Amino acid sequence: MSISVGLNCPACGGAIQVADGEQVVNCEYCGSMLYLEGDGGVNTIAFKMKVDRGAARAVSEEWFRKDWKARDLRKEAKVLEIYPIYLPFWSIKMRVIGWICGYDERTYSDSKGHTRTERIPKEEMVLNDYQYSEIACDPGDLGIKRLRNFLGESEFEDFGNIPTYEATTSKDEAMKRIGEEALNDARGEAHVQHVTFERVHVLPRALSMIYYPIWVVRYGYREKMYIYTVDGVSGEIISGRAPGDPLFQSLAITAGTTIGGLIAAGSLYLMAASETMDPTITLIGLAAGAIITFGAYMFFRHGSEIIEGDFTDKKYGLGGLDEMGVVSDLLKGRIDLGGRI
Amino acid sequence: MKVVQVRCPNCSQPIYSKIKDIVFFCENCKVLHIRGGETKVIDYEIADFNKTITAEKKYMPFWRVWCNFTINESRVSGGTFRKMAQFMRGGGNSGSLFVFVPASEMDVATFKQLAMDLTMSPPRYSTRLDFGGLQRLPTKITNGEAENVSDFVFVTIQADKPGILQDLDYDLVCQEARMVYLPFVVTESGPRPAW
Repeated sequence: MSISVGLNCPACGGAIQVADGEQVVNCEYCGSMLYLEGDGGVNTIAFKMKVDRGAARAVSEEWFRKDWKARDLRKEAKVLEIYPIYLPFWSIKMRVIGWICGYDERTYSDSKGHTRTERIPKEEMVLNDYQYSEIACDPGDLGIKRLRNFLGESEFEDFGNIPTYEATTSKDEAMKRIGEEALNDARGEAHVQHVTFERVHVLPRALSMIYYPIWVVRYGYREKMYIYTVDGVSGEIISGRAPGDPLFQSLAITAGTTIGGLIAAGSLYLMAASETMDPTITLIGLAAGAIITFGAYMFFRHGSEIIEGDFTDKKYGLGGLDEMGVVSDLLKGRIDLGGRI
Repeated sequence: MKVVQVRCPNCSQPIYSKIKDIVFFCENCKVLHIRGGETKVIDYEIADFNKTITAEKKYMPFWRVWCNFTINESRVSGGTFRKMAQFMRGGGNSGSLFVFVPASEMDVATFKQLAMDLTMSPPRYSTRLDFGGLQRLPTKITNGEAENVSDFVFVTIQADKPGILQDLDYDLVCQEARMVYLPFVVTESGPRPAW
């Protein structure tokens, strides 16, 4: 991921490129060392709007058709308002360096049911670079919290005539939040189950304020208003809300409860029929049945609106389960099914 | 935000360079400075290179950080903190040492190796006033960051094999950081000292 902006050498006027977060640049024409003095150490960069109004409107054609949205959405949706804005984002590069020590525990069972726990010492070196972004204002109902694209033509603070949201979060707040996020990511990558010693430093490497252009499109469907936003550089949908389809909801709850029930019942039947079957398989079957049934219920409950982007109320289907951490916890083995995952 | 031409804080001459470096060396008055909030002149040493080595040599920057440490308790499996014994005073649990922090970009293995080798066996060299026409690698770590990285190097020395470190209760106070340029011959197996 890199952003570069064009500027001119103050010594010779030659055109030079500066990468995002860099403070020092060499002029390739006169060899001068140049230094970027940002406001409070922050470089401000604005991406150029590359998508016009027509393209922002047209992108909905494909988006309305995708996923489980109402089947007549393309025909019935009426665009009420479409306008461009610049949103401010903090872009921060962090280096996390240090050591995390501790131990992992492995539990083994033999055929007689005896369990043995082995403690495996671990010392993990952490030396990672991360890049994060977070929105620097209250985005309201736009459903955008992070930058998704870091490629495009950019300039220093040139917004044209497009309105701009003012940054409302401070540099220090953003650094603190993102520093904690980097630390947590580094801890996660170290994979030390029980930490006995931790000495980790988070070093901010570069900080930029990036103004990113987006199109906001508000549209109506059967007397309700919805919204979607379009990336002003790549032309892709960033976030949006759209009506779901009652038929899909009905099919989901019917199929989900049927399949989930069959899996759960099947696993119970197998356990009853076979004396030698490992009870863990039954527990996994019950859990899988419950997850499928619950996912179908969540889709039925919340599928009347299809949500894409960083909205806090996005919770339907298995995506909703994952938002709540159920699926990811199961995959990572945090939910213990019989103590053997 | 503005772009400025870097000038020496001592003689005001513009600084020219082909490398992108966060520290600026004035060829005119030999002053090294760093920017970031404020302009600060930094102490440095340039180690003289061994002229009998004919292979291509490059100067690598290191932050040499003077640190005082006290180890209150160390718990390891299969090892001890014996490596720090040479730096401890009078058989006690505290001491001082120069921590060498590689300041240029390099892979993790080389970084660890150089930091540990130079910290455990500080180099002895005669100094010179310029780089003698040798290429120098750009600095990527600031003096402020070097203090945190010193802490990392300190634990690295403790945590490296054969010990499986489980706990380390220590205090490390970094006093001052000086830039040291050391000449190396860059080989396929890694940098080889050339002083």
